[in-house]
Amino acid sequence: MDPLLLVLYILLFPGILFLLVYALFLEYVDRKILARMQNRVGPPLLQPLADLVKMLGKEVIDPRGVDRGAFDAAPLLAFASVVTAFLYIPVVGTSPLSFEGDLVLVLYLLTIPTVILFLMGWLSRNVYSTVGGVRAVTQLFIYEVPFFLALLLPAMMAGSWNISTIVQWQQGHLWFAVLQPIGFVIAIIGLQAKLERTPFDIPEAETEIVAGPWTELTGRRLAVLHLAMDISLVVGSGLVAALFLGGPLLPWDLGNAWLNGVAGFLLFLVKTLAILLVLVTFKAATGRIRIDQLNDIGWKYIAGAALIQAAGVLILSAWWVST
Amino acid sequence: MSLLGDLISNLFRKPGTVLFPAENLPVPECFRGRIRITEDKCIGCSRCALVCPSQCILMVPDQKEIEVKGRKITRKKRPRVKVLRCIRCGLCEDACPSEAIHLTREFSVSGTVCETEEM
Amino acid sequence: MARVIVPVGPQHPALKEPVNFRIIAEGETIVGLELDVSYNHRGIEKAAEQRDFTRVVPLLERICGICSHSHGTAFVKGIEEIMAIAVPPRAEYIRTIIAELERIHSHLLWLGVAAHEIGWNTLFMWTWRDREAVQDILEEISGNRVNYGMNIVGGVRRDITPELNKAALDRLPALEAQIAGYVELLKKQETVLLRFQGVGRLTREQALTYGTVGPTARSSGVEYDIRRDDPYCAYAEVPWDVVTDTHGDVYGKTIVRIGELRESVRIVRYCLEHLPEGDITVKAPRNAPTGHALSRYEAPRGELSHYIRTNGTDKADRLDVRTPTLANWTSVAASLVNQNLADIPVIIAAIDPCLSCTSRLTVLNPQRTSSTEMTWEDLRRRARELNRERERC
Repeated sequence: MDPLLLVLYILLFPGILFLLVYALFLEYVDRKILARMQNRVGPPLLQPLADLVKMLGKEVIDPRGVDRGAFDAAPLLAFASVVTAFLYIPVVGTSPLSFEGDLVLVLYLLTIPTVILFLMGWLSRNVYSTVGGVRAVTQLFIYEVPFFLALLLPAMMAGSWNISTIVQWQQGHLWFAVLQPIGFVIAIIGLQAKLERTPFDIPEAETEIVAGPWTELTGRRLAVLHLAMDISLVVGSGLVAALFLGGPLLPWDLGNAWLNGVAGFLLFLVKTLAILLVLVTFKAATGRIRIDQLNDIGWKYIAGAALIQAAGVLILSAWWVST
Repeated sequence: MSLLGDLISNLFRKPGTVLFPAENLPVPECFRGRIRITEDKCIGCSRCALVCPSQCILMVPDQKEIEVKGRKITRKKRPRVKVLRCIRCGLCEDACPSEAIHLTREFSVSGTVCETEEM
Repeated sequence: MARVIVPVGPQHPALKEPVNFRIIAEGETIVGLELDVSYNHRGIEKAAEQRDFTRVVPLLERICGICSHSHGTAFVKGIEEIMAIAVPPRAEYIRTIIAELERIHSHLLWLGVAAHEIGWNTLFMWTWRDREAVQDILEEISGNRVNYGMNIVGGVRRDITPELNKAALDRLPALEAQIAGYVELLKKQETVLLRFQGVGRLTREQALTYGTVGPTARSSGVEYDIRRDDPYCAYAEVPWDVVTDTHGDVYGKTIVRIGELRESVRIVRYCLEHLPEGDITVKAPRNAPTGHALSRYEAPRGELSHYIRTNGTDKADRLDVRTPTLANWTSVAASLVNQNLADIPVIIAAIDPCLSCTSRLTVLNPQRTSSTEMTWEDLRRRARELNRERERC
């Protein structure tokens, strides 16, 4: 690819600029749909942007005894990792940066915000933050295994660790959501847990521990970490769309590269919004569960279901190879 | 009521919120709002000031000839109300013998000085 | 495992009013609790002793925002008992209607708060939306949404006209449908069951030992309801049932409150349909004779009692208010033991605490050196001193 085009891809479209806009838009859609489901009016379109600008302009308060450097750097690190992860998500056709094994990289980068939250919890020197941080990392150990397992199964079937290749594989065959329905459900649940939305908002349970690791965050730290969470939503839903719903590739060719690109982009939007709708409904329909209950449910049922799906995939693949 | 059905159908329903001040809830007929005093009717008997639980009504000297039920009397006092101290219980309205003080349907009264007085 | 003390309050997002809990925890399990409830002493009892019977009712309504009618009715009921005047039946029915509407809006509010405590904001929004219908009825009848100002010694201040009666009756079916919906919803919703069932269990023995009242007691199988055991207003004439449950946990309390919502709608409908004709007030004397009365009332949160002593003037000599929350507080300490730290908000919310109504005592010392706790002995000594002072003058 032309280096100039690559720079444009990374910075403008569908890189960082688009990502910022789309992340804020998805937050708007998230809040709006949730509000309407609860029979409320919800925020206006530019509210997430206004919140972001406002928080960026607010005073940054350092709690006593906090390591300022680390406290400043941690949200930026989370932000940087999820933005990097997005570059490997196919938005228009396949990603030009893709390489064999980028799926593992994306999953790894997606885990960083949670680890950062844990870190923030410890850095804050606040009892609520500490409890929240510990809960965040406990929760990570519960949902991460089935989530990873569910996301790696498409790779197993497609025979590649490359997201773009997996998307192309689905172009020729069926969507993985059809081939691995249990895996798809687990991926959605795992995504909900990763984004710490109800019923998995245990680390930031408002009525129990104020805002968990977020309690001591103010000003631009809060803004950046909040934005990083919004971007995780885009990356997460984009990843699930790519792995299970065929990504931005049409099953047939429209004949024109531009037309294919535009249609693919629209497909990306539709699919991520559809996943968001499922996530919001999930959020609106449930209350928060307790960490010990999540432990039970996560290891007994979700991990078990992931293993069953894995067995199913192995059998299916073996049958596929043999025929 | 199925939860999922309700969630989805709410998407296509009008939100329950009333967007004040663009929209207003209907104010019922008997609403207890801000106090108004019809000065011409007041006979200066001080009953409202005596019954007021928050003591927001103060009688001030004000000599005036008024006509009540065909009779001419001279009143010596008239009430002044600290509107922001008023708890809108309506006891003054009940106590008034000449229907001079009453609660209107105006619900929004705001200010910063709680001792603000007005007739 | 080492014991740690987790402070909750006086400022905490789960608490809408100030209260301080010092929770002694072993890991995630609670082993003990110390409470300090008196952050909001308003001296309202003393203020009530300085106002005559007409002016005191609006003051007492403001003891609590949610159960404002309860306090007003409990007080006028006691004064009427001392004065030995009979309130017209129509006034009794109107008081009952307002009281039950208040119970509906209080229980709907509680349901929303309980859902919010477990993070389910959808139910919170829905119940508060439906609560609007109740408040609209109350506003149409009384002219206000919160402090109804309906009571006066000797009756009620506003009549329910036939139009208002019809308007209120028309609103009831929709409300009933919504309540039926919540019953179905709460029986099925998984996260609610996970967070409510078996949480904060209070056995029948414990409920009796700690002297719980209201839905807290009834959910532990204690059949105790002032409306039936010591009927006042029109309750003796209205067909209704006491709702009890044997779970004793937060789920049981939810079941009892939802059941009471249905019963309340039933009572309101009956009273509106059978509203007797007649006056709404009798002329009460200005002064009450010397005497005393203990007026008991079933507020939405449980038994509320007003002890009133009069001395022949137009003011109460002494008013002592015992709110249901005070009776239920100690049971929270018992039901929190061996529970998970994450369940603190929902267990506390389960008794529907109303804190600023509860605060009856404050100990002030200018140096602020000693703690604000008074032991039983201190209180007795203080009471003896006060009595001696009274006798001397």
